[in-house]
Amino acid sequence: MEKSSEIEFTPAIVGFLCNWCTYAAADLAGSSKLELPPSFTVIRVMCSSRIDHNLLLSTFFKGADGILVAGCHPGDCHYGEGNYYARRRFALLKKVMETLDLAPDRLQLSWVSAAEGKRYAEVVNEFTKKITELGPNPIKNSTRF
Amino acid sequence: MPQTGNILVIGAGIAGMKASLMLAGASSKVYLVEKLPIIGGKVIKNEESFPNLECSTCMVAPIQQDVLQNPNIETLTYSTVEKIEGSAGDFSVVIRKKARYVSLTDCIGCGMCYEPCPVSLKNEWEENLINRKAIYVPCSGSLPNVPVIDSEHCLRLSCGEDCSLCAESCAFEAINLEDVDEVLEIDVDAVILATGSSTFDLSSIPDLGYGTLPGVYAPLEFERLFASNGPTFGSITLRDSDKVPGSIAVIHCVGRREQKYCSAVCCMYSFKFARFLKHKIPSVNVFNIYSDICVPGKNYQSFYKSVEGVDTEMLYTSSIADVSVSESGSGLKVAYPDAAGAMKELSVDMVILAAAIVPDDDVIELAKITGVNLDSRGFIATVHDGSGSMETSRKGVFVAGTAEGPKDIQNSVVQAESAAGQVMGIVTSEVSVS
Amino acid sequence: MKEFEMREAGQDRKMRAKVGVYVCECGPNIGGKIDLDRILSDLSGLDDYQDVELVVKKYGFLCSVPGKEFLEEEIKSNGFTHLVIGACSPRDHDSTFMSVCSKTDLNPYLYRIINIREHCSWVIDDKEKATEKAESYLRGGIARVLRQSELFEKPLDINPDVLVIGGGIAGMEAALSLSGEDRRVFLVEKTDRLGGVSLDLSGLLPGQGFVISKKIESIMEDRNIRLFLNTRIKAVIGFLGNFEIELVSEENAETTDIMAGAIVVATGCSLSEPGVSDHFSYEASDEVYTSLSVEKMFSGDEGVKLRSGEQPSSAALIHCVGREEKNYCSGICCSYMMKLAGLFKNQSSDIQITEFYRDICLPQKDDQERYKAAEAAGVTFIRIKDISIKGTDVSFEMMNGEKSKQSFDMVVLAPALKPSADTEELADLLTVPLDEFGFFQEVHKMTNPVGTSTDGVFIVGTAHGPKGVSDSMQFARASAGQILTRLIPGEQLIPEVKVTEILEAYCTGCGNCLEVCVYGAIYSDDSRGISVVNEAVCRGCGNCFGSCPSGALRTKHFTNTQLYQEVDEALR
Repeated sequence: MEKSSEIEFTPAIVGFLCNWCTYAAADLAGSSKLELPPSFTVIRVMCSSRIDHNLLLSTFFKGADGILVAGCHPGDCHYGEGNYYARRRFALLKKVMETLDLAPDRLQLSWVSAAEGKRYAEVVNEFTKKITELGPNPIKNSTRF
Repeated sequence: MPQTGNILVIGAGIAGMKASLMLAGASSKVYLVEKLPIIGGKVIKNEESFPNLECSTCMVAPIQQDVLQNPNIETLTYSTVEKIEGSAGDFSVVIRKKARYVSLTDCIGCGMCYEPCPVSLKNEWEENLINRKAIYVPCSGSLPNVPVIDSEHCLRLSCGEDCSLCAESCAFEAINLEDVDEVLEIDVDAVILATGSSTFDLSSIPDLGYGTLPGVYAPLEFERLFASNGPTFGSITLRDSDKVPGSIAVIHCVGRREQKYCSAVCCMYSFKFARFLKHKIPSVNVFNIYSDICVPGKNYQSFYKSVEGVDTEMLYTSSIADVSVSESGSGLKVAYPDAAGAMKELSVDMVILAAAIVPDDDVIELAKITGVNLDSRGFIATVHDGSGSMETSRKGVFVAGTAEGPKDIQNSVVQAESAAGQVMGIVTSEVSVS
Repeated sequence: MKEFEMREAGQDRKMRAKVGVYVCECGPNIGGKIDLDRILSDLSGLDDYQDVELVVKKYGFLCSVPGKEFLEEEIKSNGFTHLVIGACSPRDHDSTFMSVCSKTDLNPYLYRIINIREHCSWVIDDKEKATEKAESYLRGGIARVLRQSELFEKPLDINPDVLVIGGGIAGMEAALSLSGEDRRVFLVEKTDRLGGVSLDLSGLLPGQGFVISKKIESIMEDRNIRLFLNTRIKAVIGFLGNFEIELVSEENAETTDIMAGAIVVATGCSLSEPGVSDHFSYEASDEVYTSLSVEKMFSGDEGVKLRSGEQPSSAALIHCVGREEKNYCSGICCSYMMKLAGLFKNQSSDIQITEFYRDICLPQKDDQERYKAAEAAGVTFIRIKDISIKGTDVSFEMMNGEKSKQSFDMVVLAPALKPSADTEELADLLTVPLDEFGFFQEVHKMTNPVGTSTDGVFIVGTAHGPKGVSDSMQFARASAGQILTRLIPGEQLIPEVKVTEILEAYCTGCGNCLEVCVYGAIYSDDSRGISVVNEAVCRGCGNCFGSCPSGALRTKHFTNTQLYQEVDEALR
């Protein structure tokens, strides 16, 4: 199993944010000038349901230490029920991660609404802290797969 | 598509925005006039809206963006209509665009100008729960995200002092302290009044303690207190303190007797408050003091049932009129007659009064300007009663949303859509004549 | 220079890539927090894009009028094949810069805005780190934009005619609102008469009896309305602007094919059978009536009589029958029970009327007056917790715990409204979901209550949920409003451009995507054994993409290839 060994480890974290809720929350965090970690990269998608396993696993293989997928609260999806599907697909992927010796905690699904700029910053900062504690991604550039 | 007709929509709440977008989509030129410096109306004050507790910002922000970015909609914020003359298909309208002192085109909303402003006063949009500067945006996430200078409180504009700190701090030269009101004259074919409503004046019932007891809250005050983009970032604490309330009473039907109608939304928002409170403060005790539950609509009863006994205890009173709130130690005491008429007492830290929806203060003036009749309760009256028509007593002038009477978001939107359809009738007949 | 192939909308051309990268200073907001000159020199010297020509510049304020003019001129004079803007949130200015592209030969989908303000300069204090981050985002943007494809709007011709299903009060209102604006309407009613349940309710609706018969007359005379009585819907295919519907006559089984751009469902509701629940029990008996049957008696010539033929001298009106069981409040019963009380009192001022209620729910602003009138006429109101009806004996428990029993000549129940019988079948035909109560499900409770997930199918009146006459008519007019503003004769519809496509070679036809599509935008092409996206209906959420096990889907403008470019730069 993986362990954190490096002393000054800055994780590379990718956040896939839904266009309608969480991306708006990120904007609000921005205009509120809340401090966010430079190691966190935002990638905008239309809906959290758009995220497939391929994209997430590839992102881990490419070396992401953590992935945050964030969208509208359940029931609030701009497209009706996309986020429910996202949630179900996540449950499955977490199982797959276990088989890869990849801590399932490296993948987080959060619901952040457009009004929750402050919460967005909290979620990103806390997730970054968690990933920092988990240490580097053990399957980064792994040739095993 | 060729332009087909000009429309004036007054009020940029959910009803006004919806109607504007529909008509703009049908190639009409829409002038959307809003008296506040921002659009969005009352809905954006709610963190979540019933019945499914959907995030209001997520729901409304895309609509606001669409309105502001639609090339067929000219949004005139901080503006009022001063005159409407003429008849259906040929109205001439005079609009006063109040001096904003900040350019809507040059300002990018960075917010650098607030900091240096030496003035501090209550923020009305945030229900006076927090202070703002004389140059401000009403709330974070305002759209358009451009501040306004409150000329009544700006040291320079109101007292003639030599202060221009905001203008100096602006990197875009977007602030013009010499700005003046602008008067626009436009011609339109039809008018939609979507000016919304207000809430019952709670201080008119002194026994309920609103305005004198700091622990007593109006519904919109609580909405802002709960909102994660609000004055406390969503932490529920008592006014001017850090104290988290341990028990809360919601008193229903405040103003129903005085107004002589049921507002049909208060029960639902009261239950919503109970859910919010229990969600944020799991140890809290919530009491809803009611005499009738009005939950029309297909998802309302089930929401009520999911809250009843779970998020709140329901306390029946035989007479809301005899409920009173008084100070008791560091908290509040609510006295109410129970089912048998015996007075009962309840000690709580906070009281929320479920206030009736009442006509907006400006509606009388608006009725005068637009020449439309009001109903006996002071809301804007429709003529063909019971036909679903949104036409007012003045032909070519339509009403939508709570300007017509108390209603929820769903019914406001339905009325906006009806009104837009009726306006299309005027617009297309104009085209075929010309 | 690298050559890029572009294939879209039948075009097939090769061109050299020349990417414009313009970074907005946004005054001090970006310019003050990020070392733009360093970014400019770094990007200009990028090895990765040796074979792509990059033009990198900064500008004070790109969204200003001179900024937009500058950009337009730059695109034209440089002949950019792609454009990257480093500025603010796409929610602020994506549409601004897309409009700029539209004024040039550059397809707006070959441009990308990179948000280095909200994601960098405003949230990262350290200038060095903010600069690195902004550069990384911009590199991701350049890599991504090079993988983007041209996309084009595909306007669709539309049919402005409308099918209205159901000839009750809401259906008639919708038909008349549309025909009044010169729309052709097909009005289909399954029974042999117009008017629906409202014909039986004339007494319940003050002054409405006359209005309803007038409406029926108007419809009969209306040249824009083609009326089909005794007719049902047999099949429906299509989408907003283009539906094909097959109607079948109940009389002779003959079918008629019609075409319409929109469908208004106004199939109404019926009264539920009174059931027994925790706080309500009753036994059917001769003198126990439903509100509707009493209403029918009132609208007849002889008024209300007992089975014995005598006039009742007392009546119990029971509210909220079925509210608990159905888990919704119909919202109209309190009001019409008070109206019934008034009718009883009109028939005989001596009659004793007692209304047993749980809550008074009077959501219409005029309702409260009815309450006052009933009280003034001497009607007794008793608020109950529990009630049980045996014959005409009513036993009840009041709010204060007191129990009591009273006998009446007749008992009138106000049962909840329920969806009409054909709702399920019709929902299937229209591919519109039903809600938990069996009514048609609106696409959004608040912002689009008359719309459904099948765009172009609208639900009005009590087909949407319990409601009174005036709300039903308002819903009907709302549907007319949507149709009149969206389907304009002679105009075209422009569907979403960023839709999903299915690559035939990879599709196994498993149907997962079909299952998850809320909008019904995917159908199965059995002859080819694959699933196909109807681009006129797709909204581009990408849910189907997440469901596809074989990687056969592509979400245009958000392909995995495009997203990987952003990922790669983030992890560099």
